[in-house]
Amino acid sequence: MLLEHHGNAAVVGGGTFLLPRMTRHLLEYEHVVDLKDLGLRQITSTDGEIEIGASVSYVDVLESDLLRSNLALLPRMARGITGGRQITQQGTLVGAVCFHFPTTDAPGAVFALDAMVDIHGPDGRRSVPISDFLIDAFVVDLRPGEFVSSMRFAPQPSGGYCKVKHSTGSWPIVTASAVPGPGGSVRITLGAVESLPVVVTVEDPLDRTELKHRVDSAITAPWSDVLAPGSYRADIAAAVARRAVEDLMGVPK
Amino acid sequence: MTTTEPDDEVPTRTIRLRVNGRQRRVTIEDRQLLVDVLRHELHLTGTHAGCYNGDCAACTVRVDGRIAKSCLLLAASVDGCELRTIEGISPEGELGDIQQAFWDSDAFQCGFCIAGHLFAIEDLLESNPEPSDSDVRQALTGNLCRCTGYTNIVKAAQLAAQRRRDAVEHT
Repeated sequence: MLLEHHGNAAVVGGGTFLLPRMTRHLLEYEHVVDLKDLGLRQITSTDGEIEIGASVSYVDVLESDLLRSNLALLPRMARGITGGRQITQQGTLVGAVCFHFPTTDAPGAVFALDAMVDIHGPDGRRSVPISDFLIDAFVVDLRPGEFVSSMRFAPQPSGGYCKVKHSTGSWPIVTASAVPGPGGSVRITLGAVESLPVVVTVEDPLDRTELKHRVDSAITAPWSDVLAPGSYRADIAAAVARRAVEDLMGVPK
Repeated sequence: MTTTEPDDEVPTRTIRLRVNGRQRRVTIEDRQLLVDVLRHELHLTGTHAGCYNGDCAACTVRVDGRIAKSCLLLAASVDGCELRTIEGISPEGELGDIQQAFWDSDAFQCGFCIAGHLFAIEDLLESNPEPSDSDVRQALTGNLCRCTGYTNIVKAAQLAAQRRRDAVEHT
C-alpha cells in the first residue's frame, strides 16, 4: 500500500507531529497507515543490543528498566519532551526521529547513541546508521514503500542531557546529549541547533575553554525559526553542552 | 455563485468503541479526528476542541487507560479501544474527588481547559500519591489554562492528593 500510493501515503506512529499538520493542510495525504497493530511496541535485548520498536511511546521508554540500566540517556531525555504527560503517552520515539523536526529532543539523543535504523520495505529489510538516515530537516532515508520498524543501540549506561527552551510548552532551542568516549573524553551531540545533529568530542570535559572552542567552531549553519535566530542558538550552544557534560559527570548544579 | 457539492467521495467506516463503559458503534469519515467524533457524533461535548495542535489539552481523554490529546488521534486509529471522557470521570450529577478539590480550591474560571487538567492530575496521582508542587507543575506541562495562572490548580491537586492519603489512613 505504501508503495502503491508513494507520495500520497503517510505512516503514523503516535501522530503527534503528523496529525496537526494534516489538520492544517500543511501536509496532505489521501492514505494514512497506522503501525499500531504490527506488534512493534516492544523494547528487547538481543545479542548485546537493545532494540526499540516503532510503536514504543515515551512513557514506555520512561518505564523500561532495561533502558534505565543500559541507555540512560533515553529516559533522561523522554522525561522532558514537549507536550506533557499526554504526549509522553501518545508520541513514539521512533516516530519523532522519522518525522525529523530538527528542533525536538529525540533526533539528537538517538544520534548521540549511534542508533542503527531498521527499515522494512518491499525488498525486505535494510539497516542504516542514524548518521546516514537523517538527511536534512524533515528528510530521512526512506525509499518508496519503506517504513522504520525499529532502532537498535549498543548499550551505553551513562548519559547526560540538557536543553534550553523558553517556555514550558516550547520546542527546545538547543539540546545537548553527553556520553563517555575513549580515554576520559566526552562526546557531545547538539540537537536543535542545526538541521542535523552536530557532534563534538572533548578530550578534557572539564576544560571549559576547550569545550567552548570546539562547540563554537563546529556550528556553521545554525537553525533559525520563529522561536530563536540561529545566532542565538550558536551563542548558547556551548553553555548547554557544558551543562550536559556536568549532568553526565554528576557535577552539582 | 459558487455552489458546494456534497463530497460523496469521502471514505467512511464504522468503528466500535467502549465509551464511559458503554459500547458504541459509530460511522465516521476516515479523516475525522477523535475529538470531532466525540463531540459531533457521540455528542460528548465536555471534551473541548481548543487548538487542534496538541498544545492546550482541552481535548484530553483516556484511551485504553492512557491519557491522550484527542485532536492528535484519528478516530479510525482507536477502533476497538476503551475510552473515558470527562463525562465518565464521575457518576452523573456528582463530582469526582479531583473535581471536588478543583471546586473547593477555585481552580478554574471559564472551565474550558478543565478536562485536560483533571485527567493530567488523575494520571499523576495514580503513579505518585504524594507529589511535590514541582511534580504537579511538571504533570501540567502539556496543559494550558489562560484564566487561573495555575496556582490554584496546583493547590487543588495537592488537596486531592491529601484527601486521598487521608482516606487511605482511615481505612
